[in-house]
Amino acid sequence: MTIFTINDVRKTFTNGEVEEEILKGIDLSLQQGEITALVGASGSGKSTLLTIAAGLQSASDGQIIFNGKNMADMNQEQIRRIRASEFGFIFQSAHLVPFLTVEEQLILMLEVSESKFKKGQQENEISHILKLIDMDHRKNAYPASLSGGERQRVAIARAIIHKPKILFADEPTASLDSKRSKDVMQLIRNLTKTLNITTLMVTHDQEMLSYADHIITMKDGLAE
Amino acid sequence: MNIAWKEIKKNKIRFMILGSIVFLVSLLTFIISGLANGLSQDNAALIKELPNGQFYMNADAEETYNLSLIDTSVQDTVLSEKEDAAALSIQMGFLNDEEDKQRSVAFVTSTDSELFENVKEGEIILDRSLEEEGLKVGDILTNNQFSGEFIVKGFVDQQKYSHAPVAFINMENYKEMYRVNEMQLIFIPGEDNFPTIEGLQSFSNTEFLNTIPSYSAEQLSLNMIVWFLVVISGMLFAIFFYMMNVQKIGLYGILKAIGVKTSTLFKMMWTQMLFITVIALGLSIVLSQSFNFIAPEGMPFSLTAATTVQLSIVFLIIGFIGATLSGIQIKKVEPLQAIQQGEV
Repeated sequence: MTIFTINDVRKTFTNGEVEEEILKGIDLSLQQGEITALVGASGSGKSTLLTIAAGLQSASDGQIIFNGKNMADMNQEQIRRIRASEFGFIFQSAHLVPFLTVEEQLILMLEVSESKFKKGQQENEISHILKLIDMDHRKNAYPASLSGGERQRVAIARAIIHKPKILFADEPTASLDSKRSKDVMQLIRNLTKTLNITTLMVTHDQEMLSYADHIITMKDGLAE
Repeated sequence: MNIAWKEIKKNKIRFMILGSIVFLVSLLTFIISGLANGLSQDNAALIKELPNGQFYMNADAEETYNLSLIDTSVQDTVLSEKEDAAALSIQMGFLNDEEDKQRSVAFVTSTDSELFENVKEGEIILDRSLEEEGLKVGDILTNNQFSGEFIVKGFVDQQKYSHAPVAFINMENYKEMYRVNEMQLIFIPGEDNFPTIEGLQSFSNTEFLNTIPSYSAEQLSLNMIVWFLVVISGMLFAIFFYMMNVQKIGLYGILKAIGVKTSTLFKMMWTQMLFITVIALGLSIVLSQSFNFIAPEGMPFSLTAATTVQLSIVFLIIGFIGATLSGIQIKKVEPLQAIQQGEV
């Protein structure tokens, strides 16, 4: 079932008097519970497409249809609400909030998404997800004291704790070594399949493509 | 979750350093303001300590009270109609103590009134600063224009004029010293319903102070110093809170990306601004008020509660504006752009 559609999305950046079209009319659709990988050379526009799809920046033109509504027509507050409750995002580097412990990162996400948990339920949910990412023993640690792999696992937990419909992942293994990359990808795959989350992922790493259900190659701002 | 407080708790030293800058800038403003007010008080406490009212001087004196002489019949008429009014004169002069040490004073005399010290002939009441210089009750003082002697009957607080301590003397003694029968001024206390008196020009307390050339010139300079300081400190505050938040744009980008409401980000900025400012201002107020006690003797320093509150409110408003301006900038920027700016 198609859950998310992108129609003829374009993005132009202006640098002084020079205009550069990064996305030249992209169409794609995401199927529920499946992982779609965006691949392509640097500068092909895959990260730009991902961040536009996730509502982190706006498109210059085109439609982004989610739940039957065009996000391109929504105001900032409407997009924020979708980002908070329906989307999860994993950045290239973890981008955790530096002054919150592992557990607090997840509490914040649940508060932001306005998840209706009772206190006990919330604690159980956090404990469950921390066990899934094997971080329950570090729940009181701050990001600065975690390794790169641990931070990325916490970032994944934060992205899915509120059970989003779509998970956007921008090179989630870029800052990890080969073993950690495989662990993280396996974790994303397991979690998305278990929770029936749809995933759109950007990656450079050919090895990571084996975890994807669909692969879209981008070149010069176009999907091939 | 109170993320503002969580950040403060995790970054105590950083916020302490930021708070210490606010503390030092506000302390500087309070101290300079106290010194400026002190100088102003030193120049005109005699007038400033009076209740609101209206001063009258001879219209021919052209706003120079030294040249004013009020006709005794006019004075008698006004004083009989206004029971709480007083006629008074002020003249700069000298007093010699028993060791023939000369001291500059402002001689003040008045008709019977609760507003001024009433002294008998041959007696004198002095500003407290002269007691601190060693004079005491019972001392004998002389003046080369006065045939008799003055015996010190007491001391009063906050009675200075033209940077000299006030010496209250009896009207008969004053008339002998300055060879006049008329008083220079009439003062009627009150808020309104002041009579128009033919031949006399009237002034509010502030207007009267401004007729004193040394006072108005000095006040202009002091006010300029204080206001420049307030404006510069205020700008520092605003820039400071603006920079504090703009530097954290990457963090706000992350929070925006995960869906934190803009209003929550504003609350976070305001809470941190309030936390830093209130503690820093609190410490500044305690220290600047303590300065009253540790200031060297003779240093004019006057920092009233009203001035402290006014300056504190100005700083809070400016801090709020600085934090809000940075918040507006963070509100406008897209989450991804904010994260990327934070990474630069």
